[in-house]
Amino acid sequence: MFKLALKNILYYKGRSVTTFLLTFISAFFFIVYVAFMDGSHSSMLKNALDVYTGSLQIYQKEYRDKGGYDYLIEENQKVFEILSDIEGIKAYSSRLETFGIASSKKHSAAMMLTGVDFSKEAKLSQLQKALQEGLYDSTGTCLYMGSELAKKLQLTIGDEVSFVGSAIDYSFVAELFKLCGTFKTGMYDFDRQSAFMNRPYFDTIFLSQNSSSYIVSMAEQMSDNDSIAHQISRDLPTDLRVYTWEELMKSMVELMKIDSLFGYISISLFFLVIFFVIMIYGFINVSTRIKEFGILKSIGLSDRDIDRLLFYEIFILTTGALMLATPLGSWLVYYFEIYPIVIPGMSEIYKEYGVVSDEVPTRFEPLTIIWNVLVVFFLNLLSILYPMFYVRSFTPVEAMRHV
Amino acid sequence: MIQLKGVNKYFYQGEPREVHALRDIDLTIEKGEFSVISGTSGCGKTTLLNAIGVLDSISDGEIILDGKEIANLSAEAKTEIRLHEIGFVFQAYNLVPVLTAEENIGLIMRMQGFDDAQISQRVREIATLLQIDDKLDSLPNLLSGGQQQRVAVARAVASKPKIILADEPTANLDSSNSKALMNMMQTLNEKEGVTILFASHDNYVVESVRRIIRLDDGALVT
Ligand SMILES: Nc1ncnc2c1ncn2[C@@H]1O[C@H](COP(=O)(O)OP(=O)(O)OP(=O)(O)O)[C@@H](O)[C@H]1O
Ligand SMILES: [Mg+2]
Repeated sequence: MFKLALKNILYYKGRSVTTFLLTFISAFFFIVYVAFMDGSHSSMLKNALDVYTGSLQIYQKEYRDKGGYDYLIEENQKVFEILSDIEGIKAYSSRLETFGIASSKKHSAAMMLTGVDFSKEAKLSQLQKALQEGLYDSTGTCLYMGSELAKKLQLTIGDEVSFVGSAIDYSFVAELFKLCGTFKTGMYDFDRQSAFMNRPYFDTIFLSQNSSSYIVSMAEQMSDNDSIAHQISRDLPTDLRVYTWEELMKSMVELMKIDSLFGYISISLFFLVIFFVIMIYGFINVSTRIKEFGILKSIGLSDRDIDRLLFYEIFILTTGALMLATPLGSWLVYYFEIYPIVIPGMSEIYKEYGVVSDEVPTRFEPLTIIWNVLVVFFLNLLSILYPMFYVRSFTPVEAMRHV
Repeated sequence: MIQLKGVNKYFYQGEPREVHALRDIDLTIEKGEFSVISGTSGCGKTTLLNAIGVLDSISDGEIILDGKEIANLSAEAKTEIRLHEIGFVFQAYNLVPVLTAEENIGLIMRMQGFDDAQISQRVREIATLLQIDDKLDSLPNLLSGGQQQRVAVARAVASKPKIILADEPTANLDSSNSKALMNMMQTLNEKEGVTILFASHDNYVVESVRRIIRLDDGALVT
């Protein structure tokens, strides 16, 4: 029966070639399409997380809703101890955010001034890599400022900046800082509003020893993040809470889900078309062979045998096409993961999504490829059901009379 | 060996265009017979043959093959009967186009589960008898009509069914091919003891058989 199926495939070339090609194209396209979609999503996320957000953050429970100095973490050290006991964490650090007005000789602007540990941030975020001019790791009254903010204030390295804000006990803070370095992450809003300062001196001004707005941590492997978050939660004082990047980047994650959904809808339409074309070709082929099936039935093949024959035919064609499309698609996807396509200007267009590079990477993920291939495989097998049903509707005598 | 009792067949039963194609047929075919069902066009020869071969259902009556009623079995059981007990030869050869002559001849035996060696030996034996042993590797469309029909006969005979039903096997053949085919089928009947039942109004057929079953408007003529 298998041999007969093979011979039929070779004999009915038109149908075979069409089915083979369509299957090949759809599987190949599917693999590549999904890989690009996943790739761009994960690179957007990775960029966003790498730049500053980290893979999880720990807050005082009310802070994210209400903000302000009333809901700071007051025992950094305690949290640090918990984090240091957990494996799989690349780096962690505390940050303290304050808001105020920064002024140069000519201009003023709102500024978020964050006290950080520069050496830890170097491992945790892209702040150091984003250095544009001047110094990254600076001490004393030095500010490390977003390039857009510096531009707005018309500052150059070495200039003085005055700052007005409040310390965490709500006392008034007015200080004269010096611009020691600027950074450019590519995230426009971030570069236009932020400045950083080393923690020791920051703490003396803002009276914030051992406090923080939140503690940020980066997992070595993103896939371990949830279990790390879980372990932290277990030991954390009850007034603190862990937020994973999915929660922190909720709007972005949802945007991507919607984007994926639309991606899948459009590819489903594509598949629907391919499915019907394959089915119609199968149907036309089967219609021209009704007499042949009549012969086979009259000499003693059962309906099940005929079903098996038709199944083998589509199975062989599909398997053949997939065996070609899968390695080719995988190779392409793998290649573009290592050497991403570069589309100049793309980061400009997608700036608001946190895209900071012009690279369009794919994501090579064997599991994804496997399910892509399985979808095409089962759709193809499904496409022969109607023709099978059609053939069954003929009695042997009717089938043999069929022309 | 085969016994028909009160077999009736209607097409479009109950409709205005109803055709009463077989009328109260009582008929016995013995083992080793070489017979023809004869009659004018449209008298019901094909219908009767298809009924005996459980290729088509009957409206009422019984058909008994070696003591077993076969006309009222399930579709699967009828398929089994066709596969194991009955060989068909049709007017239009009806070979499987993608299979060579050898594969066509061996097809039924393969379906029955014989192994390659057994099939190959039997195919050669029959092909020699039917003088197509030099055409075994050809696809049907490269064979002449006479050769195709001999392949079809060989396919029907190879698995040693209880009866061969041959519907107008000579209708598409010229006179010399018809003669040759009938001679060979006679040889098969004598040498292999195959029971053969034709349906035909062809003189070559009617003259070479031993028994003529006359049919007129669906009824047997006695
Ligand atoms: N599938 C069918 N549907 C409806 N009527 C049919 C069908 N097959 C046969 N008939 C009718 O049954 C009658 C007998 O037909 P059948 O084919 O058995 O005749 P036949 O003797 O084989 O004729 P021929 O010598 O032309 O082959 C005819 O009147 C025919 O029109
Ligand atoms: Mg007829």
